[in-house]
Amino acid sequence: MRFRAKIVDLACLNHFSRVINTIAKLAKTCTLRLTVSKLYFILSDKVANGGVSMWCELCQGNFFDEFQMEGVAAEHNEIYLELVPENLSRALKTAQSAKAVKIKLTNKHCPCLRVAVELPSLSSSSRIVTHDIPVGIIPRRLWNDFREPSVPDFDVSIYLPVLKTMKSIVERMKNLSNSIVIEANLSGEMNLKIETDLVSVTTHFKDLGNPAWASEDGCQSSAQDRDLESMAEARIDIKKLQQLLAGQQVNPTKAMCNIVSKRIVHFILLHEDVSLQYFIPALA
Amino acid sequence: MKCVIGGAHLRVFRRAIHAIARISDEFWFDPIEKGLALRSVNSSRSAYACVFFSSMFFQHYCWTAVSQPCQKEKQLSLPCKLIIKSVLPVFRCVNVLERNVEKCSIYTNINDHHITFQLLCKHGVVKTYNLVFQDCDPLQAVFAKHLCPNILKVHSRLLAEIMIHFPTSQEEVTLSVTPMKVCFKSYTEEDTDFSKTMLTEIQLNPEEFDYFQVGVDSEVTFCLKELRGLLAFSEATSVPVSIHFDVSGKPIAFSIEDMVLEASFILATLSDVEKERASQQAPESSKTRTGKSDKTSVDRENSGAVASKKPQWNSNAANTASAKPASPLAKQEIKDIPRAAKREVTGTEGTAMTEAEERAALGEAAGAQYQKFHSLFFGAVSCQKDAPSHSFHSLATASDTEEDFGNAQSSPVL
Repeated sequence: MRFRAKIVDLACLNHFSRVINTIAKLAKTCTLRLTVSKLYFILSDKVANGGVSMWCELCQGNFFDEFQMEGVAAEHNEIYLELVPENLSRALKTAQSAKAVKIKLTNKHCPCLRVAVELPSLSSSSRIVTHDIPVGIIPRRLWNDFREPSVPDFDVSIYLPVLKTMKSIVERMKNLSNSIVIEANLSGEMNLKIETDLVSVTTHFKDLGNPAWASEDGCQSSAQDRDLESMAEARIDIKKLQQLLAGQQVNPTKAMCNIVSKRIVHFILLHEDVSLQYFIPALA
Repeated sequence: MKCVIGGAHLRVFRRAIHAIARISDEFWFDPIEKGLALRSVNSSRSAYACVFFSSMFFQHYCWTAVSQPCQKEKQLSLPCKLIIKSVLPVFRCVNVLERNVEKCSIYTNINDHHITFQLLCKHGVVKTYNLVFQDCDPLQAVFAKHLCPNILKVHSRLLAEIMIHFPTSQEEVTLSVTPMKVCFKSYTEEDTDFSKTMLTEIQLNPEEFDYFQVGVDSEVTFCLKELRGLLAFSEATSVPVSIHFDVSGKPIAFSIEDMVLEASFILATLSDVEKERASQQAPESSKTRTGKSDKTSVDRENSGAVASKKPQWNSNAANTASAKPASPLAKQEIKDIPRAAKREVTGTEGTAMTEAEERAALGEAAGAQYQKFHSLFFGAVSCQKDAPSHSFHSLATASDTEEDFGNAQSSPVL
């Protein structure tokens, strides 16, 4: 098992750091899956996470100048690592002005991702800062736990409002209630509702637009037959929603959510070279 | 004593107080003829800070010798001890401080045991803080910087840039030097759980230092938390930081000096020799070092000869030095004095005497097996290789009770 990668371009490095920062805000521990062409940050829906799951996909070519990987075996040319994204985020935090960042999988005392940051210095040779981030190697027999989640059979799919606005609203609502109801319909209308003994607050968004999903064998027929005004709703943990919104450091190119009434809300945030899917289950 | 600090220097003064606050909860406020010294030592005597402001730092500085009625001899200084928490609020609001305060005047009232801090602000607002101080014995550490084989001088900016790579929770850091390279890294010990800890290492070229002298290859481990105070302070003054150190076990000193002030932070370093011995003999001794409570200041004499009943650190050190002239670093320390041994530095001789006797008793019983940070004071003492019998420079002198003051055995207050 081998892995080495190098980032030389500062813009790519900053972009990569931002992605890692977002992941670090969403999960304390997650799985990093490395393939020849892509990196995946995966959080599977265990009870410990509160049932949320995450799937984040990056094309390595968009970030790394060098990327070499050899998986566990020829026919399974992938590596699955368990790591604490906060560590990686911290290692990259002080690399803002780096000349180069190299990441390597090593095994000195235990399996580690060694991040070596080459910083400019006043002298002829650069300053080298090395961070050894402990990782866990996930054996192949457990790889099935980390498969890509399928898009659920949703009732409504709608584009999200401007994330900054949504974030500030949800943050204020968080002070009043532990759960929030998201409801939306196929006419581009979305409501965020909280209700307590003392107060209920609803924020209405309209003209959001509904993404058109390519129908596969009519599996979206349920959505197409749906009454345009009828709201699909799910009550979810407000903290999870707030974490998702707070973690976004850059505005995504596309942001949408799919609601399966009373079951789950599936958020999709797309940037040019990164896609993030986040599933928040509905509260009982 | 009365002094006035002008607006511009207030920021520096404030940073000094905050820096000292990292070491301990109380500090010595020590006005002398030449200026004002602020000193602090942590409860385990493994870190000492001193910031000295010369009279030129102040807009106005006035000090008169005072003789304590209870002292046989005239004591020229009036040291007093203040609780840092009481002083910090005086200098807390940075913005307020820098924009609104025109000057700060400090004066002491010996009879009342008060120190008054008065902030004269704009628009005629005057804030007065009266703080009570405790009488105490003078505190001063002596560290022979000029005897250190390794000296690095570096701009404070660079040092801050290095330390920023370590997480704020990182307690201890190892500095490793050879004539060819300098390396700061997270401290690890044999039983560190590598699968849970992120380790950071920074390698630098000697050329990055303003002055680089490495007489002996060494690897010293010291407490980063205590140092961060000095780093913040030195950035305020933008004066280069000098680092004097020796081999592991001997103290490391970080100091800055300019025309109007001098600051030194002297930290104990971990000794390698005992680390190995300790981990063989006493598995539990290599517990995580959680801050100061592990660094007991107590030096034990193996052979148990505690000569003097005087409550002085120096007399204990004399014994240890005589017993082990060959390995001055090999000081034994009791680790498991009950954790209540996060003893405050008490000025009163009564308490100190009890402590010394208690420590002596424990020392004889437990022998020397555990290794922790050595009390920096004793480490540095031995490097001067004084003959054990006569008085020598102890790093920290707890001054004596009045009856012992004139005794030759006691070390001079420097």
